Amino acid sequence: MNLRKNFLVLVAFTLLAILPTGCGLAEGSGVTVTDMMGRTVTLDAPATRVVALTAADCEILYAIGAGNTLVGRGEYCDYPASVLDVPAVQSGSETNLEQIIALQPQLVLMDTMAQSESQVNQLEASGIRVAVSEGTDIEGVYTTITTIGTLTGKNAEAAVLVESMQKSFADLAQNAQGGGKSVYFEVSPLQYGLWTAGKGTFMDEIAAMLGLTNCFADVDGWAQISEEQVLSRNPDYIVTISMYSGEGLTPVDEILTRKGWQDVTAVKNAAILDAPNYELVRPGPRLVDGAKMLNDLITNGR
Amino acid sequence: MKRKREGFGLLEIVALAVVTLTTMVLCVCVGSVSLPLGQTVRILWNALWGLPIVDGASAAILLTVRLPRVLCVALSGAALSVSGAAMQGLLRNPLADGSTLGVSSGASLGAVIAIAFGVTFPGLPFAGTMLMAISFGFLSLMVILSLAYKLDGSLSTNTIILVGVIWSMFISSIISLIVTFRSDKVRSITFWNMGSLQGSDYANALTLLGALLVFGTVIGCLSRELNAFAIGEENARAVGVNVRRVKLLLLVCVSALVGVCVSIGGSIGFVGLVTPHMVRLLVGPNHKKLLLASLFGGAIFLMLADLVARVLLNPVELPIGVVTSLIGAVAFILIFYRSRKGDAHA
Repeated sequence: MNLRKNFLVLVAFTLLAILPTGCGLAEGSGVTVTDMMGRTVTLDAPATRVVALTAADCEILYAIGAGNTLVGRGEYCDYPASVLDVPAVQSGSETNLEQIIALQPQLVLMDTMAQSESQVNQLEASGIRVAVSEGTDIEGVYTTITTIGTLTGKNAEAAVLVESMQKSFADLAQNAQGGGKSVYFEVSPLQYGLWTAGKGTFMDEIAAMLGLTNCFADVDGWAQISEEQVLSRNPDYIVTISMYSGEGLTPVDEILTRKGWQDVTAVKNAAILDAPNYELVRPGPRLVDGAKMLNDLITNGR
Repeated sequence: MKRKREGFGLLEIVALAVVTLTTMVLCVCVGSVSLPLGQTVRILWNALWGLPIVDGASAAILLTVRLPRVLCVALSGAALSVSGAAMQGLLRNPLADGSTLGVSSGASLGAVIAIAFGVTFPGLPFAGTMLMAISFGFLSLMVILSLAYKLDGSLSTNTIILVGVIWSMFISSIISLIVTFRSDKVRSITFWNMGSLQGSDYANALTLLGALLVFGTVIGCLSRELNAFAIGEENARAVGVNVRRVKLLLLVCVSALVGVCVSIGGSIGFVGLVTPHMVRLLVGPNHKKLLLASLFGGAIFLMLADLVARVLLNPVELPIGVVTSLIGAVAFILIFYRSRKGDAHA
């Protein structure tokens, strides 16, 4: 951690030292970062044309005021609403390099999931720099924000964002009301087999921050779990991230009316939260919103 | 002549039923959450006679989660296995089954279309998926069989497997296409496609039971005709079987059974393929015995596979298809190997 901070300070100083004297020299305003795969990414100047494939990276760009650099976005990027005006490209396993190259970006932001090394190499070969992010915990999100800030010349804004997130989380942690009560995170509804978020997920990390225990902390990552276990572990709170399809019962009502669940504490107290807009999933600034929603559930009962 | 008795005697049927019921009791008593045996018996006893139940969470686990699921699994296994046995007999093809013949993938396509485009019937929210699954399963079967007939009149193993595989790939590409166009429903479709018997309830079990009673009985009544087909279509015609009518009837029944199973539990591979073979080793090829034994055998096989899926990685649950396919793939290769060796000798 210290190493990275020192490194950033060094970069900042270098910039400060060079900028006034070396005005107009392209190489003088270059930026260098180490991405989360340990690759060194160097740009001649902060990027002004960026393609971001993950929804989280898009959100980060907008949050640090670099939304106007976005010339292409992954098809699942949906927040903030203005991102929908940016041309969409295929992402994930369907990533289409031609689409990306056609947008002539200086920088492409990808995540490690479903992106292959050969894709990175091909983009690099066509003169486009690639930075890979991998947010698996909140600390990792801060790193991503700082990295993206550097690459787009928004160091100060990135630092402000990280600081505000740190402060929000610290406040929540300080006033943690969880009291060791248990929470069950539901990723997919019963009809498709129950999936939950176990250890090593943002949901687990945020639950711990609020003084809650994740019912399925003994499971790694996202996993399909047994309905019997949910009933037997009797959670005090339930959080579902199911999106409402617009027909039939809402996700919360569906859980409330499940057969055999009527004696579960969370169902009896109707202590169920729906967080359908990726607030608790996406490695971006809105994790704070997700944590606040969960905190509201445990302090206000609903 | 041994015309005296071709089917099972009463004693044998009772024995089959007892083994099946014992398996069922085992599967109800053992689960992800371990409940004391005494409590399990007490809850079941009280529920059976409508007595008040005081065991709260345990009762909920047993009566609303475990029991309906075991029932659905047993009935699905029975239905898939009978369908497999009927198809293998009808086509004289040891590798015929809902999944190799593309009925399951066709049924999946029907269900996906129903989900993606909101095909529902007022009052019966689940019927849209089910009817679409059944009719697409039937259509798939018709397409594959007529294609295979065109290519090779004798419906040989290789042709059918080839056409079935190509058809399944075609179907899965169409499913991907629908998923691409209806990305708003994509989560629901992907999860559904993986298939899950979690969340099965008594209504599902009743639907399966109804389908099995109707279509299973029809198939059972055609066991004499199936025996005739097993020797050859010409032979069947010679002994007075209305080949076209019987064939169509069997295809409809098989599609209906597979369609109902797919719409309730997703596509579960290999049960229909493997159990009839295992059963055939035990009771011989006569369909009067084979169909009934497959019914019980399929129920037992799938209940045990589901038990493994439920408890092996507790509290994590394996998709049941993983377990059946693991066992099934090995059995499939063995059968294929043996049948090819048989061909070489013939």
